[in-house]
Amino acid sequence: MIGILVDVTRCIGCRECVAACVNANRLGKNIPLPQHSADGLSSQRWVSVISRPGERYVRKSCLHCLEPACVSACPVGAMQKTPAGPVVYDASLCMGCRYCMMACPYGVPRYDWDHLVPYVRKCTLCYSRLKEGKLPACVEACPTQALAFGQRSELLSQAHRLIRSEPMKFVQTVYGEHEAGGTLILYISDIPLDWLGYHVAPGPTPLPDYTALAMSLVAPTSLGVMALMAGTWWVIQRRMKLMGARADSSEGETQ
Amino acid sequence: MSQRKATIVKDFLWACTAAGFVAIILRFAYGLGATTGLSDTTPWGFWIGFDLLGGVALAAGGFTIAAAVYIFHLESYRPLLRSAILTAFLGYLSVIFALLCDLGLPWHIWKPMVNWQPHSVMFEVAWCVMLYTTVLSLEFAPVVLEHPWFRLPIFRAVLTLLKRLTLPLVILGIALSTLHQSSLGSLFLIVPYRLHPLWYSPIQPILFFVSAVALGLLTVTLEAFVSAYLYDHELPHGLLAGLGKVAAIVLWVYLALRIGDLIFRKLILAPFNGSWQGVLFLIELGLGALIPAILLSIPRVRRSPIGLGTSAILGVSGIILNRLSVSVIAQYRPPETAYFPSLSELLISLGVLSAIGLVFLFIVETFNVFGAPEKHELDQSVSSPVSYAFQDDLWRNHILRRSFVVVLVIAATFALLPSQIVEGRMMPSTEVRSAVGGDILWIDGNRNEEGVRFEHQKHIERQRQQATNEETACAVCHHLSKPGDQATPCWECHRDMYLPTSIFDHTFHQQALGGNVSCSECHIGEHIADSAVGCNECHETMASKESTTVKFNYAARGYVDALHDQCVSCHKREATAQNKENLPRCPTCHRAEGAPPGVRRLLSLSNP
Repeated sequence: MIGILVDVTRCIGCRECVAACVNANRLGKNIPLPQHSADGLSSQRWVSVISRPGERYVRKSCLHCLEPACVSACPVGAMQKTPAGPVVYDASLCMGCRYCMMACPYGVPRYDWDHLVPYVRKCTLCYSRLKEGKLPACVEACPTQALAFGQRSELLSQAHRLIRSEPMKFVQTVYGEHEAGGTLILYISDIPLDWLGYHVAPGPTPLPDYTALAMSLVAPTSLGVMALMAGTWWVIQRRMKLMGARADSSEGETQ
Repeated sequence: MSQRKATIVKDFLWACTAAGFVAIILRFAYGLGATTGLSDTTPWGFWIGFDLLGGVALAAGGFTIAAAVYIFHLESYRPLLRSAILTAFLGYLSVIFALLCDLGLPWHIWKPMVNWQPHSVMFEVAWCVMLYTTVLSLEFAPVVLEHPWFRLPIFRAVLTLLKRLTLPLVILGIALSTLHQSSLGSLFLIVPYRLHPLWYSPIQPILFFVSAVALGLLTVTLEAFVSAYLYDHELPHGLLAGLGKVAAIVLWVYLALRIGDLIFRKLILAPFNGSWQGVLFLIELGLGALIPAILLSIPRVRRSPIGLGTSAILGVSGIILNRLSVSVIAQYRPPETAYFPSLSELLISLGVLSAIGLVFLFIVETFNVFGAPEKHELDQSVSSPVSYAFQDDLWRNHILRRSFVVVLVIAATFALLPSQIVEGRMMPSTEVRSAVGGDILWIDGNRNEEGVRFEHQKHIERQRQQATNEETACAVCHHLSKPGDQATPCWECHRDMYLPTSIFDHTFHQQALGGNVSCSECHIGEHIADSAVGCNECHETMASKESTTVKFNYAARGYVDALHDQCVSCHKREATAQNKENLPRCPTCHRAEGAPPGVRRLLSLSNP
C-alpha cells in the first residue's frame, strides 16, 4: 500500500499541487456553481487547498480509504480499490446512481452536474502516472516538501516519529491512521483536523462493515421467508382440507 | 353519473402528465445541474426520497394482500387482491421511470445485471426492483389474459400455466418484497456520519420493512376509497376495517421498534431538544404513526369511512415523510448548500404519477380488476363491472378537449418554468473588481483572498529598460486601450472572472456612424461579427503593436484566463532566458501572505 503524508505545518498554501493536478488530469475551468460545496473540490478540481485561521493550509482530496465506502456502495463496480491502494473509477461501468457520493464519509466524489453525460470525478492518486513509475502530480509539484510519497507503513512510522519529536508543535495523532478504518493520505498537523470529514470526523470502523451484516443476511432471509410462507400455506390448507373432510363426512359418505 | 367524475379526474391527470412530459424533455436536454436542485452535498433528492423510496413502500400492499389471500387463506380479502397487485406493479413501474430520470447515465441501468457486486446494497436493490417487477407482471398477467381480446389458444395456455404458477410466484414475490423493502433501509446503514442520529438506526432495514407493510395496507385502503368514489362502488366496509385493524397492529410494532431503538441508543430525549430535526421527528412519528395507530385501534373509528380515511391519509403521509427525511431532509449538509426540489423535479414526479394513474384507470376500466372471479373460473370471459368506459365512446369524445388541454399545459409549463430550466443554465457571472494599490498592485478580481501581489512599478522599470521606445513600454501588457485612454486596466474589458464578456458596443457604433445606412462602414458583405473590421482600422492607437496577445476580439476572455495567459507566457519565456525555474510557478505571484497591509486597510474600508 502506497500513500501520501501531508505535513500541514509545511504547507504554504501556494496551490502548486492544484495546478499540477489540473495539468496532469487535463481538468477544465472551475466555474463556481451553486452545485459545488465550499471545500473547493468539484468535478474539475480533484485536490483543493483549504485556508484555515492562523495562515494554515490543508490539502483535501480523496483520502483513498483502506476499506472504501464508495467501492462497497457501488452496484456496478465502477469504483475500484486497486491492489496498490488508489481508489479509481471506471466511467464505462457507472450508471450514475450517486450512491458513492452519499456513502463517502468525507463527501469527496463530485458529479459533472452540467454535463449531459455526467460522471463521478475524484482524485485517483494519479494511478496512471504511478503505473508509468512517476510520482503523483501534486507530490511532484509541492515546492516545500509538505507532501511525501511512499509506502503507507513507512510514512506512518515517519509520521509518528515526527509528531513525537516535537510534541509541543504537533497534534499527537496521525489523521488517517484509523479514520474510517484508515486512509492512504495521512496528515500530521499543528491544528485539529476534525472538520475534514463530511460532517464529523469518522470513527475507526470501516464503513463497509456497517452494511456487511445486512448483506450477509440476504440469502438466509430470502430462503427463510420462502420456507416460512410455503410452510404456512401447507399447514393452513391441510387444516382446511381436514375440516372440509370432516364436514363432508358428517353430511354422509357419498362416492 | 360516475363517468363524469372519472372524466374530470382523467382530464386533470392528462394535464399533469403533459406538464411532466415537458419537464422530462428539459431534464434530458439540459442535464441534472440546470434542471434540478441536486448538488455535490445533496446527490439524492426528491426523486429518491418520494418517487423511489415512497413508491416502493406504497407498493407493499401487493405482497401483503397476496400473502393474506394465498398463504393465510383469508379468502374474504380476495376482492382487494387484484387492485393491490395492480397498484404494486404500476408503483414499481413509476419507480423505474423516476429512476431513469434520476440516474446520470440511465442507458447504463442494465450494468448491475452483468457486473455483480454482492457487497453493494444498491446492487441488491437493483436486482430486487428488476425481479419483483417481473414477478408482479406475471402475477397480474392473468387479469389481462382473461379478457376476450386474448381468446387465442396460445394465450389461454399461458393463462392456465400462470394460474398454476400462482402460489410459487406469490411466495417468490413475498421473499423479494421482504428483501427489497428492507434493503432500501440498508442503503442508509453506510451513512452513519451523514444522517441525523434520530433517523440513522442500525435496525433501519427492519424499520423500513415494518413501516412498508403498514403503508401498503393503508394504501390499499385509500385506493378502495378512490375507486369507490370514482366508480360509485359500494365501499367494502368490513374488509377495510379488517385491514385497518391489521395496519394498527403493524403501526404499533413499528412505533415500538422505533422508540425501543431510540431508548437503546440513549436518544429518547433527543426529539425534545428543540432542534428542527426533533420537531420533524415528532411530527413524523406522532402525526404519521402514533395518531393513526390509536385511531385504527378503536373499532368504531376504523369502521367509519371518515375515521378510516383520515387515519389512512395520516399514516401514508407519515411514512412517506419518513422516507423523505431519511434520504434527504435529515441528511446533514453545510449551511450554505440548502436543498429544495426544483420545479422540474416536482413536475416530473407529478407527471410520472399522473401517467401511472391514467394507466391504472385504463386497466381497471378494461379488465376485470375489481370483480375478482371465483378460484377456478377460467374459461368464462368475465366482463368488468366498470368496463363500459372503453366500449363507449368515452375516449373518442374527449380527444379534442384533452388535446387542447395538453397543448395548453405544455405551453404554460414552458412559460412558467424558470429560464434556467427552459433554456439551460446560464453560467453564473462573477463580476471582476479593480486591482488595488500603487507600486504593488493587489490583483484579486473576485476578492476571494487568493490574489496576486503584482510588482507593478518593478515591471514598468524592467520594460522601460528593455523597450526600444519608452512610450510603448506600457503597451507590452496593456495590449488594448479604450479610445482616449493610454493604458486601460485589465478589469475594464475582462469583466467576468471566468466567462467571456462583450466589449464592443454595437448600438453605440451604429448610431455614431449614422444609423442603419452605416453597416457597410464596418461590415464587408454579410452583417456578421466575422465580417467586421478590426478596432484599429479606425482607432489607430487602440491596439498596441508590441503586444503578443490577441489584438482584437469582440468578446474579451475571462479575467483568470486572460491574466494567466498574459503573465505566465511571459514568465515562461523569461524563466528559460534568465534561468529562473521558479518564475512561472504559482507561488511566485500567488503569495501565501495575501494582500499587502496597506491594501488590506483599503479593502476593509471599501468592503465592510
